[in-house]
Amino acid sequence: MKRDSKRVEHVFRWDLDKTYLDTDFDKVADLVKTAFQKAEEKRTIPGAGALLRALLAEVPETRRAVYFISGSPRQMRKVLEKKLEIDGIRPDAFVLKPNLQNLLLLRFRALRGQLGYKLRALLDHQPAELDGVPETLFGDDAEQDAVIYSIYAEVLAGRIRGDRLSRLLQSANVYSGDAKAILARVEAMPHQDRVRRIFIKLDRKSPPGRFRPYMPRLVPVYNYFQAALVLFQDSLLTANDVVAISLDMIENDGYNPFALTNSMQDVVRRGHLAAETIQNIGRSLLADYAVDEIARRFLDEFAGRIEALHGYQAELPEPSHEEVDYVSLLEEELSARKRHKQQQRLADRLGKSGLF
Amino acid sequence: MNTRLENTVVRIAFDAMGGYNAPQAVVKAAARASLEHSFHCVLVGDGSQLDPLLQNETHNPEKLSIHHAAGVISLGSRPDQALGGVGDTSIERAAALLGSDQVDALVTAGNAGVATLAIKRHVPMLQGIRRAAIAAVIPTPRRRGAKKDPFCLLLDVGASVHTEAEDLSSFAVMGAAYARCISENPRPTVALLSVSREADVGPDWVVRAHRLLAGRAVDEHFEFIGNIEGHQLLSGEADVVVCDGFTGNITVRLLEGMADAAVDIAKAAYEKKLSWRLGLSMLSGGLEQLRRLTDWEQYGGAPLLGFQKPVLVTHSGSGERALVNAARVAARAVREGLVAQIQGKLG
Repeated sequence: MKRDSKRVEHVFRWDLDKTYLDTDFDKVADLVKTAFQKAEEKRTIPGAGALLRALLAEVPETRRAVYFISGSPRQMRKVLEKKLEIDGIRPDAFVLKPNLQNLLLLRFRALRGQLGYKLRALLDHQPAELDGVPETLFGDDAEQDAVIYSIYAEVLAGRIRGDRLSRLLQSANVYSGDAKAILARVEAMPHQDRVRRIFIKLDRKSPPGRFRPYMPRLVPVYNYFQAALVLFQDSLLTANDVVAISLDMIENDGYNPFALTNSMQDVVRRGHLAAETIQNIGRSLLADYAVDEIARRFLDEFAGRIEALHGYQAELPEPSHEEVDYVSLLEEELSARKRHKQQQRLADRLGKSGLF
Repeated sequence: MNTRLENTVVRIAFDAMGGYNAPQAVVKAAARASLEHSFHCVLVGDGSQLDPLLQNETHNPEKLSIHHAAGVISLGSRPDQALGGVGDTSIERAAALLGSDQVDALVTAGNAGVATLAIKRHVPMLQGIRRAAIAAVIPTPRRRGAKKDPFCLLLDVGASVHTEAEDLSSFAVMGAAYARCISENPRPTVALLSVSREADVGPDWVVRAHRLLAGRAVDEHFEFIGNIEGHQLLSGEADVVVCDGFTGNITVRLLEGMADAAVDIAKAAYEKKLSWRLGLSMLSGGLEQLRRLTDWEQYGGAPLLGFQKPVLVTHSGSGERALVNAARVAARAVREGLVAQIQGKLG
């Protein structure tokens, strides 16, 4: 069966910069450097390529789709597509931001704002084959992905619409043309609670407690090994996939077993991963392979980190069906971004002063 | 899987429930260390208190884990009673992790006596060492070693109350090895703290220790310069000063009290007279330099020497900075093989 004629069983939507690609754009110099980088020079975030390849691995009857929706300018399409090709990723759609067009039309708010652009792009890319198909979203803490993806999930489920959505778009300063298009699209769509999981890569090491209002659907992750473990729990990866991703991170990105076992304990402690999931991975690997001495020690290390918790695990909040105040959450995300920039400026100044 | 899975990481256990500022300051310290240093931190303590604190801190969980222990020992507890009464305490658990090679070094701001006893239960002592010693840093005007450290080491300051001449001799070897390793002082000078510079004046164990140290063959690793009196401690005549734990503890407490009293006197003077206020303002640059010199938080902690693993005991009032610095020193002691160096010199 040809890839494109297979039924889509799951769709993954990825942000690109700081989620898939290790991009620096906090300073103007970084932005310029990024704009002139060749595909071969662009760095993939540790484990991201291996994770996405595992998620998209060929199976006989069905397939999984991947959509990239990025805030990078459309002029970078060629280079970015080549980078994905090098990594062995074939996206179903690759959406880039019309920054030049926004600039020429003096739509300055659209240059900086993400909600109007991303929400519209997410809702526009809903071909018929995705009807009823569950979704997993990947973003980062550098922009407003947590709140935008959560709003998108609620919009798909029909819990945010009409006046509430209109007020939300207005408070986020979305241009009226974009707002109208979003509202019209939402009214025409069937309501389906399809977003199973949102992963937010903590590029800025934001304290995970900050994302509590979006839990339990949203999982803040420090690396893609943590995401792989949760995706194993969600039955989207096998134990072998998890091992392949961890080995990729060890071989290519200098990770060590302690960093991975610590990462595993962190995601268990935070309540996103059941301790039994780790036991299941161990059982599955032991059943499949004659595990060698080093691998066995690795598994023992995992078991040790779980035992160290003596059963402690944080309780995640129950899914809330009450109205979440997304306007405040959007403002909070924006102020967190401002704080980060101020801290970075201060750190740069202190660095230049020679005090540190 | 290949051999790159072998352990090359230094793991530092933090007694997360020890000290007046625990667990908040310890969690903050481990969080900061996880971002700024290459070693891994293990927070040992009550997970239900530690994890929520950690979730609101910027940290790197790839270099940080929690080891749960439910019990807590108060700072004023007697060591034998403290460890006898509560089963699963943070210091006992941390010591057990250290003894079973699950961590490489330990940092605690808790009760030093309890820590020494707990570690004694789980970590073997160095061959030839009967008693452990805590080495405190004493600020001095003289700078020493490649790092130009402005302090000398005084040991023991409270790990062992009763000591004999042989113990003082081993403290000298351990202190000198520490000064070589951490201060990069290739041949530190070592003295005995006594009531007189005369070799045959003073308590029996000090007189005999003098004989033992003076009778050693010329040692390329340290130079024994004889006895010094209390006032010479602060002038920095020796790089390493040795005494029993009872004397050492009184000495450091007295110095801490003097420093606090000096600050109180200056404050009172500042408030009392305009001329004194002006005088103190003119001296502010020098006072700031003095404050920096006597800032114990920058030195991290006092090494508990004599065990087969590095242990750093920090001030019970330690904050984030002191604990991070203690962990940094502990990691350095692991990397430099401090324990092996001491054992090598003990023969």
